[in-house]
Amino acid sequence: MITFENVVKQYPNGFRAVDGLSLEVAPGEICVFIGPSGCGKTTTMRMVNRLISVSSGRILVEGRDNRDIPAEELRRKIGYAIQQIGLFPHMTIYENVAVVPHLLGWEESRIRSQVDRLLELVGLDPDEQRDKYPRQLSGGQQQRVGVARALGADPPIMLMDEPFGAIDPITREVLQDEFLQIQKEISKTIIFVTHDIDEAIKMGDRIAILREGRIVQFDTPDTILAHPKNNFVRDFVGADRALKRLGLVRINEVMDTDPPMVAYEAKIEEARNIIQKRKLRSAFVVDRDGRLRGWVDKEAAERETSLTEAMAEVPYSDIAVRQNATVRDALSAMVTRSFRITPVVDSKGKLVGSISLRSLQELVERDDSEASEVSP
Amino acid sequence: MGGIIASFGFFFLPLLELKPNRLASGIPFELLQLGGDTRYIILFLLTFIVLAVALNRTTETRGWTLVALGNTMMFLTLFLGALAGANLIGNAETLLEGVNLRNPRILPSAGLILGLVGGYVTLFGGLSDLRKAKTPRVALIVAAWSGLALILIFLLTGQFDIYSVMVEFRARGELLGNRIVEHIMFVGVALIIGFVLGVGLGLWSFRDERMAPIILYVVGIIQTIPSLALFGVLLVPLARLGDRSASSIFLFLLVTAVIAALAIFLYRRFVQSFGPRLRQAFLIVTALLSAVPLALFVVLLSSFVFRSSFVVFTADGTVFASFRTLLSAMLLVSIALWLISRYLKKGLLKRIMRYGGLGGLALFGLTLLLAVGIGSSQFLSRVDSFAALTVRDLGVSGIGTAPAVIALTLYSLLPMVRNTYAGLVNVDPAITDAGRGMGMTPSQRFFQIELPIAFPVIMAGVRNAAVSLVGIGAIASVIGAGGLGDFILSGIDNASIDQILLGAIPAVILATLLDAGLRGLEQIFTSPGIKQV
Repeated sequence: MITFENVVKQYPNGFRAVDGLSLEVAPGEICVFIGPSGCGKTTTMRMVNRLISVSSGRILVEGRDNRDIPAEELRRKIGYAIQQIGLFPHMTIYENVAVVPHLLGWEESRIRSQVDRLLELVGLDPDEQRDKYPRQLSGGQQQRVGVARALGADPPIMLMDEPFGAIDPITREVLQDEFLQIQKEISKTIIFVTHDIDEAIKMGDRIAILREGRIVQFDTPDTILAHPKNNFVRDFVGADRALKRLGLVRINEVMDTDPPMVAYEAKIEEARNIIQKRKLRSAFVVDRDGRLRGWVDKEAAERETSLTEAMAEVPYSDIAVRQNATVRDALSAMVTRSFRITPVVDSKGKLVGSISLRSLQELVERDDSEASEVSP
Repeated sequence: MGGIIASFGFFFLPLLELKPNRLASGIPFELLQLGGDTRYIILFLLTFIVLAVALNRTTETRGWTLVALGNTMMFLTLFLGALAGANLIGNAETLLEGVNLRNPRILPSAGLILGLVGGYVTLFGGLSDLRKAKTPRVALIVAAWSGLALILIFLLTGQFDIYSVMVEFRARGELLGNRIVEHIMFVGVALIIGFVLGVGLGLWSFRDERMAPIILYVVGIIQTIPSLALFGVLLVPLARLGDRSASSIFLFLLVTAVIAALAIFLYRRFVQSFGPRLRQAFLIVTALLSAVPLALFVVLLSSFVFRSSFVVFTADGTVFASFRTLLSAMLLVSIALWLISRYLKKGLLKRIMRYGGLGGLALFGLTLLLAVGIGSSQFLSRVDSFAALTVRDLGVSGIGTAPAVIALTLYSLLPMVRNTYAGLVNVDPAITDAGRGMGMTPSQRFFQIELPIAFPVIMAGVRNAAVSLVGIGAIASVIGAGGLGDFILSGIDNASIDQILLGAIPAVILATLLDAGLRGLEQIFTSPGIKQV
């Protein structure tokens, strides 16, 4: 747990980078600091492990004023990962990850197993990567090592300053997903600084939006998107906040679990029936194991005499979305393929539901009415 | 390229010069004039083969062919040259009719030098081919040194004695050894003091960015002073210093040490009550004031050590001779052990060899200290009374090694300071920030991060300084410091190229070896993660 109590950072020239900031980061949560550059987010983060000193107010780390703990001792108990990664180029991957355990004077055998465990955790093969040097790794691999190094001595708290900022968008997404997965396992208390609102929404359990050294709003991503406190926050999260909110909702939370489906072996009449009864324009065809085989549309069903002739047989990945993807992904898929309804499958390709454009529209309208009710 | 150089040399420039005696100028002979002997045609053929091979694509075969050709060319140029020289001397009476013949000599001329250079360039081209083809390192080393080794063997067995430089060497070989030792000693001492000072100053400029431009500027200015002038400037004050009695200087040093201790104590005691400005000013004033006695102390100590250790390395007498043998044996064995251990797989043997090597080195250091100690005690035992002892007796005087060491030290500063500073400043700030954020203390950051990363750059500065000191060291002979400059200067005075070469060739070899040795150290201690590929 990290508690900021009325923290001020004032520089000798009178500039207040942080101006009376109070907030509490709960154990095991990812708290994202976000704001325009110069808002004091990095300064605030760096005051936690005393890389920057506090001018007034105090910061409690696990209940203790951080100035009561010697700076080096404090920092060894707090994981630290930065955008530029800052791996030590002259040390092997093993030595990099082992830095803090070495500083703490762990035994070599314990360090060895710890490093292997951490490398595996961040998705690197210890036997393959251990003795390499940082420059032999790709940017994404280096950042994984950066995270493993920050976790070096299992610190209860981690500070992450735009850790995925310098990585290409695709790898960034992968690393974000992986890190969320890791966090489920390790549940550290994390302060995560970023300037990317999408990243903040994705990573944060709670988001603190900062401006000129003060907190403008500190809330869960959903609340911030639904109820931006003022115009600054509204502008900051962007005009597409409704769309962004869709990104917070998993498909399996809102999908229709009774999709229009017809068995591959069924007669064509069955398909016609389903389409007519549910006033749809198409139905999905599944095989005996429930896996999606393709789809059949209204015109074809009425024109042809057998289902196999009428249906369009396609690999499921071409038309379906995964059930653990976000609603935003589903919307994107429907717009791209100009479907009004899209099938939802599990990881094995089994049809588990469907989601329609109309249901998404309803979802957005509900959000908007909620939002306008609360905000002035 | 090598072929062009060599053929140009063989065709157009004289290969050898036949001189009637040591001083008079001789008659040049070109390769084609050497009497149509078929043996010499080989050299021409070699150059054409090289040209033909060089036009091929880069392959390992071409690499090996070029290496072989280059080595052969270097060797044959010398070997056939020696045969031709013997021939010429045999016919000297007829060739130099009417000239007073006394010890006729064969002077290697431009064609021969170009033949060697051409061979070397060819060899080098072949080596770079092999390197591209990823030939194993051992094979590369053999390829690079086999020709030189062959030449060395012939040189040592007296096959090349026909050349005038070798004649000169045979005549003055004893002196040459002493001069080389002298040269190594004052360059070495200057290099060590310069290393400590230079790295220290580089550190200072890294830590205090306001001092950095000042330090770099001052060090740069020193570098622009002509070396002769610097030797001259040092002459008078050091001569004056030499007149002082040693005891008065010791008293001075003692007093300043006490004052410094007092100042440090006061500073520690009251540091809190000083403002940051005052603190800075205090530190700078203290540093400047203590610089003079410190410098004095270093000069005295190094001169004294120099003087005593010189006895060890040059004096005859059984004690020191056996010391010398012991020392060089220990150095060689421990370096060999340590080097071999690096190529061994992990295991007991590796550890034994490694620690054996390191232990041997430590033992070497201790023995060296002991030898110097015995040298100095011998020296001191000859002193009658301490009161009559002057600073000059301790080795400091206007001429000799003291000014040489001081001037050389000053010259070594620029590359060392500049590279230390540049190396440290160029450490990525993100890396130091990461170190800080993970809880490294300032000294841990320095020793575990900044120093290892800056190390290759610092070593490049040391190598730079070492090579230039060997060269500048030759000038120190003017002020009576001895060294290889003695041969060069007397060679200039007597217009004897042989003597100049006798001084210059060992200096070049010395500089090359020093550079190679330091490069080896750099390679060994640089992490593979930051080596240039």
